[in-house]
Amino acid sequence: MLDAFLAGAHQVFAFDTLIYMLIGSVAGIVAAAIPGFTVTMAIILTLPLTFAMDPLQGVSVMLSVYVGGYTGGLISAALLGIPGTPSSVATTFDAYPMARGGEPGRALSLGVWSSFFGTIISTIILIVAAPPLALIAVKLGPWEYFSLIVFALTIVASLVGNSLMRGLIAGVIGLGLATVGPDPMMGRPRLTFDSDILMPGLPFLIVLIGIFAISQLMGEVEDDGKSETKGALIPDVIEFKTWAVMREVLMHPVNLIRSSLIGVFIGALPGAGGSIANLLAYDQAKRSSKTPEEFGKGTPDGVIASEAGNSATAGGGLIPMIALGIPGSAVDAILMAALMVHGISVGPRLIMDNADLAYGMFIAMIVASLMMLVVCVLSMRLFLRVTDIPKQFIVPTVMICCVIGAFALNNRVTDLYLLGAIGLVGYGLKSLDYPLAPLVLGVILGPIAETNLRRALMSDGDWTVFFTRPISAVLLAAALLSVIFSIRSVLKMRKKNRAVTDEQDGD
Amino acid sequence: MFRKIAVAAGLMAAAIAGPAQAQDYPTKPIEFIVPWGPGGGSDTQMRLVAQGLAEETGQAVPVINMPGVGGNVGLAEFAKRPADGYTISQIHEGLLISNGTGITDLNWDSFMPIALVTSSPQYLTLSKNDNFSTFEEMVAYAKEHPGAVRAGVTLAGVPHLHMAMIEDAFDIQFSYVGYEGTGQRIRALVGGNIDVAIGDVSSAGQFVENGDLIFAAVGMPERTAEEPDVRTFKELGQDLDLAVTRGVVLPKGTPQDVADALEAHLEKVMQNEDVRTKIKNVGSEPVFLGQDAYKAYLGKLSETVNRLVGKLAG
Repeated sequence: MLDAFLAGAHQVFAFDTLIYMLIGSVAGIVAAAIPGFTVTMAIILTLPLTFAMDPLQGVSVMLSVYVGGYTGGLISAALLGIPGTPSSVATTFDAYPMARGGEPGRALSLGVWSSFFGTIISTIILIVAAPPLALIAVKLGPWEYFSLIVFALTIVASLVGNSLMRGLIAGVIGLGLATVGPDPMMGRPRLTFDSDILMPGLPFLIVLIGIFAISQLMGEVEDDGKSETKGALIPDVIEFKTWAVMREVLMHPVNLIRSSLIGVFIGALPGAGGSIANLLAYDQAKRSSKTPEEFGKGTPDGVIASEAGNSATAGGGLIPMIALGIPGSAVDAILMAALMVHGISVGPRLIMDNADLAYGMFIAMIVASLMMLVVCVLSMRLFLRVTDIPKQFIVPTVMICCVIGAFALNNRVTDLYLLGAIGLVGYGLKSLDYPLAPLVLGVILGPIAETNLRRALMSDGDWTVFFTRPISAVLLAAALLSVIFSIRSVLKMRKKNRAVTDEQDGD
Repeated sequence: MFRKIAVAAGLMAAAIAGPAQAQDYPTKPIEFIVPWGPGGGSDTQMRLVAQGLAEETGQAVPVINMPGVGGNVGLAEFAKRPADGYTISQIHEGLLISNGTGITDLNWDSFMPIALVTSSPQYLTLSKNDNFSTFEEMVAYAKEHPGAVRAGVTLAGVPHLHMAMIEDAFDIQFSYVGYEGTGQRIRALVGGNIDVAIGDVSSAGQFVENGDLIFAAVGMPERTAEEPDVRTFKELGQDLDLAVTRGVVLPKGTPQDVADALEAHLEKVMQNEDVRTKIKNVGSEPVFLGQDAYKAYLGKLSETVNRLVGKLAG
């Protein structure tokens, strides 16, 4: 084992590997920071380059893109209020208000450090417990997945903002949007009205960019001139306090560890991914907080939870891949392809047959997260400089990036029409004070729920299986508790409000 | 008579215009539309072919992923591209099935098939369960309990066709559970959520070696070099050809000399040792069937699909 460890370390710490990894890290961060450009896209671009590299070298470079990509989304989320990747939706909730409140440097530093610790915690779990965790993950059938998604849907309650009713409506709109296009099981068209544009469905990323980016950018245009910051999105006095922030992150150990564990768990389930982990970690942090009303106004806990949660899926996602050779996402599939091209078969025997490679990947994960940290800390000033650019330049530039990214996703022109239409819908909803996150949550979770419900009933026509399989039953019970908890807190809030109004009446 | 003149005229035209074009082709980068997402079998294998083609022709061959509706979005877009040889694409069995089940109007003969380049042998893979551990036991169990054997397939996809071929040949009945992609099916098989599935060496080989899964039979004319102990369907009494074959196509109406030039380039690519090794490494077999042989293959496949399509539409 020590031999393999040293052999792996020897390869990762080669000078050229480190240089390539540094480039990969920067590329991942930049790609993720631009709304519309995805990490998958950045990794697929590196794939042909890795054909010419040693297997471990190639995978190390890809891992640095991957880790960088889970952090980069934070930058646009905090500075522009636009999630740079699907995994940073919840990051906008608190990092953006914090940045707007005059602490953009703190918001970024908090996010970067939380991402760093999240990645490290997930890598440690990956190293220590990958095989048993992967075995549990693989046993989960469609019943457990469906119940998990039902549970995840209950977090809508945390995302509703000012009105429970409007939040629920937004969630239902999201679920509805997700049904357009080919049905996930048979590929039969649904609600497409024979239109070429709707034929491929509404891709999740197009909805995300349309709903968040376009509405946010239009909002920026709308309040131009009224803003006190004289055209710049963020005030210019910036303090980083890098080390102070690191201590601040470590002062929230419970939140950090809980969020990272959620990230690892969700990451280890093939098909779920960082976007769910990001929202779920945020939700759990809000619910267990003593001051839930601070969430959404720029509380450090919100930033820590969302960023530790999404970054921890990096290590979690590698669990089924390294332990069993089962890809959990497109990124994992590309990583596996990069190994297989070199004749390395990826499967349950990878750790035994190619131990140096497996250990090398663990080391590469740690090195990649350190690189991400260094790159981010050093370049933060540069990113913040971006916000000095007057709005009339930054808004169109970001808009163009969104459009290019949306096109590059599937290389379909029709996606751009969809983007425009969804952007208008998003802007309309936002103007009417509808929260947008529940809509996106519906679009993410709807298809997963449908696929697994249908799969479960195809495997066994009996509905009671959902309650007799233990993990599924526990998840459904958790969902029920979550709903009860939410109703209670809504009632409590209402009572409080009424009390306040009564007092006012008394005056 | 008229036809002969037409052919002669055509040949003359080709003789005048052709050589200049064919010798020069390609003079600019060739766009390779892969109608599937990144990271899958088609994507990985076609990237290797694209890289070989770029080396061979000296022109860049950028791969453009255009996923959606089981490959049909990318192919629909490809069909509209100029037929000049500078946009190429890839098809496999899935297109014929999509056509048969009415998801798309396009079929293999909507394009100019140029060369079949890879063929991935498919194995009938069994989970570890109490009821059967060999092919014969599985058939016997399925005959005794019709519909009790849960088969994981991509509904109305290639694995569904393969399973339907097995049902048809051995007169048994599975109940189908829909999964997307080989990775998902193998995971469900390992987790015991389904009983049988179609797998391949790259995704399931190590599980078999580990004793977690069983390769019951292989759908090739002869046993494969990777799994010499796994019997063919032919040995089991029914000659079934279960492979996922991927070939390069051009839009219909491309000049024949351009097609011939591309065919010649691809033939050289498929002899390139580096490309061959890498394709084998990702679990497929490098092969080469030129235009005529490829068309004949697709024609025969089309008959099988049409015969079994009723089973797939449900």
